[in-house]
Amino acid sequence: MRNQTVVMARDLRKRYGGRAVVDGVDLEVEEGEVVGLIGANGAGKTTTVECLQGLRHPDSGVLRVLGYDPTTQADRLRPLIGSQLQDSALPDRLRVREAVELFATARARDAGELLDRFGLIERRDSAFASLSGGERQRLFLVLALLNRPQLVFLDELTQGLDPAARRNVWAAVGQLRDEGATVVLVTHELDEAEALCDRVIAMRAGQVLDAGPPADLVNRHAKWATVRFSWSVADSTLAELGDLVGVQSVRRVGERVEVRGDRRVIAYVGADLVRRGAVPDDLTVEVPDLESALLRLLEGAAA
Amino acid sequence: MSTAVGRLVRAELKLMVRDPLVLTFVFAFPIVTMLIIGGSFGSSPDPDFAGARPSHWYVASYLTVVIAATGMIMLPVHLASYRERGVLRRFLASGFPRFSFAAAQFIVGMLVTAVAAAMLLVVAAPVYGVPAVHVPWRVAAGIAVGAVAFVSGGVLLGSLLPSARAAQAVGLLLFFPSFLLGSGGPPPKVMGSALRDVADVLPLTQVTKAIREPWLGIGTATSSLIIVSLLALLATVVAARRAAL
Repeated sequence: MRNQTVVMARDLRKRYGGRAVVDGVDLEVEEGEVVGLIGANGAGKTTTVECLQGLRHPDSGVLRVLGYDPTTQADRLRPLIGSQLQDSALPDRLRVREAVELFATARARDAGELLDRFGLIERRDSAFASLSGGERQRLFLVLALLNRPQLVFLDELTQGLDPAARRNVWAAVGQLRDEGATVVLVTHELDEAEALCDRVIAMRAGQVLDAGPPADLVNRHAKWATVRFSWSVADSTLAELGDLVGVQSVRRVGERVEVRGDRRVIAYVGADLVRRGAVPDDLTVEVPDLESALLRLLEGAAA
Repeated sequence: MSTAVGRLVRAELKLMVRDPLVLTFVFAFPIVTMLIIGGSFGSSPDPDFAGARPSHWYVASYLTVVIAATGMIMLPVHLASYRERGVLRRFLASGFPRFSFAAAQFIVGMLVTAVAAAMLLVVAAPVYGVPAVHVPWRVAAGIAVGAVAFVSGGVLLGSLLPSARAAQAVGLLLFFPSFLLGSGGPPPKVMGSALRDVADVLPLTQVTKAIREPWLGIGTATSSLIIVSLLALLATVVAARRAAL
């Protein structure tokens, strides 16, 4: 099913005042995918998606979005796109219901259902200025989805939201994914990317460092594990753990022992402890998340 | 009203009614100043006012103040605040047709001007009387092209200025000299020649002439009408290009 490419960029470049903000980006998004653009602030993520939406003109590069060139055919492209922008607003006194009426084209779906789904139905007569940060973001999501877009861009969707509001918005994006929408998500919150995205594209200094499913990125760049447990034995016994397959370091941290290595240490340390009849009841295993993987990736790129 | 322009006009009008303070300057300032100035020079025909009654002179002049307040203050501040807050970006990204927002602002500006001008005459009628219109088509043409010139100019100004504060500062700076020299201030006859020269090159002076002279029967102001028509055309073309989303 996932075979049609809906977003394609080849060697996209954009400079501001001599500084390369986007510096030769290649990317592809296929139909039905939720793809995250991740990276620190200033990595060029927002500029990239703004070029893809025809909001900025790239200096060079080939762009195709839903079959259109966003630079020259933005007028035809934009009605097919749903967009939730960073740093945008609505008039203060515009009410939720009126905002929906204002943005609804002939293709619009039932707004009541959308407002209900995003928990705004009770707020439909409230002015934009009176909405909380989370409610505003959810309203922007409603507006982004209103006209049955074939592709949705979400830029820093949960910035400034409290944890509960964030979960709410995440659930909404999860629903989108379940419905088969194609979503490009820009975020510097890696837990967000890990929770929502089928695939992530890691960016740094205007370039793509790596791309793939979050788990693949973790495996490629942070395939280590740390096992911790309480064990009071002599140092010589402890040192034997260092000979197990995959172990890189063994050390004591207070009462506990910390064994670090690649993922195999989880099995080998466990098996060794069982063999010795010394199974601790407080053993914990830490495996890296996308954030650790990205940090590794960034360190590697900076080196 | 399912076109983008229609939806925008409807939303803008609703917002205006909800926030009438926005309109105070356009509605109240011309009426209040007309009542003060119009009563300051009496109502006997006066050679300084080209033989017209001063009160009538000012009633015939103040429609232009409405036009200027809309074009130099209300629209630029409104548009610049939308850009500053990211409202325009949202319209753009949501696929609103390129010219829909500028067109909607133009329509709203023309509607506000028409209603404020009508209110001005309604207030003037019982106080100073509304003078008879000598050449109605010329007056109507002067009002129409004057309004188009300044409303388009306001849309243009709003598209050039970076923030609502900047728009307010620049707008007031443009508005008050124009108001004092070109419309609501002393008649040209009592101005010094230098001041009169300055007044003559102000677009608002030309709009006022194009309306006042055929209204009071003190001239045809054909050249003013032509100048204002050209300004209207120019302002509309440039504003449409600049204010496109």
